[in-house]
Amino acid sequence: MSLEAYASAKRDEIHTDVLLQARQACYKARDAFYSCLEKHSDKKPTEIGSVGLLYPTECKPSREDYVKNCRVSWVKHFDRQYCKTKRTQRLLDDKETRRGV
Amino acid sequence: MPIYRFIFFSAKHRFAHASNLLPRFGSSKRIQSCGYTKSAKNNYYKKPTGHPVVNVETQASHSSGAYFIPPILLGFGGLLAFLHYNDERRAVKIGKDSYTGSDTAVAPIIGGPFTLVNSENQIVNEQDFLGNWVLLYFGYTSSPDIGPDQVRIMAKVIDTLEAKKNLKVLPVFVTIDPQRDTPAQLRAYLKEFDPRIVGLGGPVSAVRQMAQEYRVYFKKVEEEGDDYLVESSHSMYLIDPKMKVVRCFGVEYNAEQLSKEILKELKKHQVNA
Repeated sequence: MSLEAYASAKRDEIHTDVLLQARQACYKARDAFYSCLEKHSDKKPTEIGSVGLLYPTECKPSREDYVKNCRVSWVKHFDRQYCKTKRTQRLLDDKETRRGV
Repeated sequence: MPIYRFIFFSAKHRFAHASNLLPRFGSSKRIQSCGYTKSAKNNYYKKPTGHPVVNVETQASHSSGAYFIPPILLGFGGLLAFLHYNDERRAVKIGKDSYTGSDTAVAPIIGGPFTLVNSENQIVNEQDFLGNWVLLYFGYTSSPDIGPDQVRIMAKVIDTLEAKKNLKVLPVFVTIDPQRDTPAQLRAYLKEFDPRIVGLGGPVSAVRQMAQEYRVYFKKVEEEGDDYLVESSHSMYLIDPKMKVVRCFGVEYNAEQLSKEILKELKKHQVNA
C-alpha cells in the first residue's frame, strides 16, 4: 500500500476510549474495584474475573463499572498486573510462616 | 663417554634377564646371551676399578639431568619476558588521553533512513529532522499505562529543557500500531499532552522497517479481534542533529533524571563540536 493511499484512507476514525478522559475514568474505576477487593479480602472470592482473578460477590457492581469503563485488553492487563503484585506480596509476607522453603 | 658405558651396562643387564625368561628364541639369542653374560662376568671382575666409573657415572647422571635445566629456565624466562612486553604494549598508559575515535565504535550503529506520514497527513522522512536534537519514542495510543506515562515524561522533559535551559529538543512519537493509529488518532492523542510532539505513522511496512533500524521490539499480544495490546521495549532514543542515535533511555528514568541526562549529552556534544 503506498503512502498516499494510506494517508487518504481511514482518516476520520478516532478511538476516543484511549484519550485522556476515557483513560482517567478507566483508572478511577479500576482503583475503586481494587480497593473494594482489599476491603473485602477476608471474604471468600466466588466470582471469576479475567485471567484468573477471583473476587467476592460484594465487589460485583464495582467490577461491572470497571469493565464498562475500560477496554477488555486493558482489563486483562491490569488484572494480570494486580495478580502479580499480590503474589509477590504474599511471597514476601510469608517468609516467617514457610520455613525451609 | 662414561654416559655411554652406563647405558650399555644397564642394557646388557636387561638382555640377560630377558634371555632367561624367553627360551623360545633362536640359538643366536642364546649365543648372544652367553656372550653378554660372559662380558657381564668380566665386568664383575672389574668391579673394584668399576667404582670410580660408577661414581663418575652417577655424577654424569646428575649433570645429564642438569644439562636440561638451564635451557628450560631460559625458555620460561623468555616466555615471561615476552608476556610482560606484550602487556606493556597493549595497555593504555595512565594519564594518556583516551582517543575519541573509540567513542563511535562503542555501541552498534542504530538508526537509519525512514519515510512516514505525520499527523497532518504529510510525508516525512529523516532529512526533515536534520539539525535538531530529537527525542524519539516508539509507542501506541492504546497503551493502558506505560504509554501515557512515557509520553507525559517526554512532554515534561521538553518543557523543562526549554524553560530552564533554553534548549530545543524535538519530541517525536512513532506509533508501533499503525493499523489503529491513524494520523487523526495521533493528532487527537498527542494534542492532550503537548502540541509540539510530532506523531508519525504510516503503512505497516514502513513502520516495521524503521523499527528494525532502531532495534525496537514490538509484538501484538492479547489479540481479540480489533482489541489488542502491543508489547514493546518502551524506550526513548536521543538523536543528535546529524540523525545519529546518541543514547537510549528505558522506562526507569523519570522526568528529572531524563532531563539531567539529556543536558549532559548536549553539553558533551557541544564540547566535541
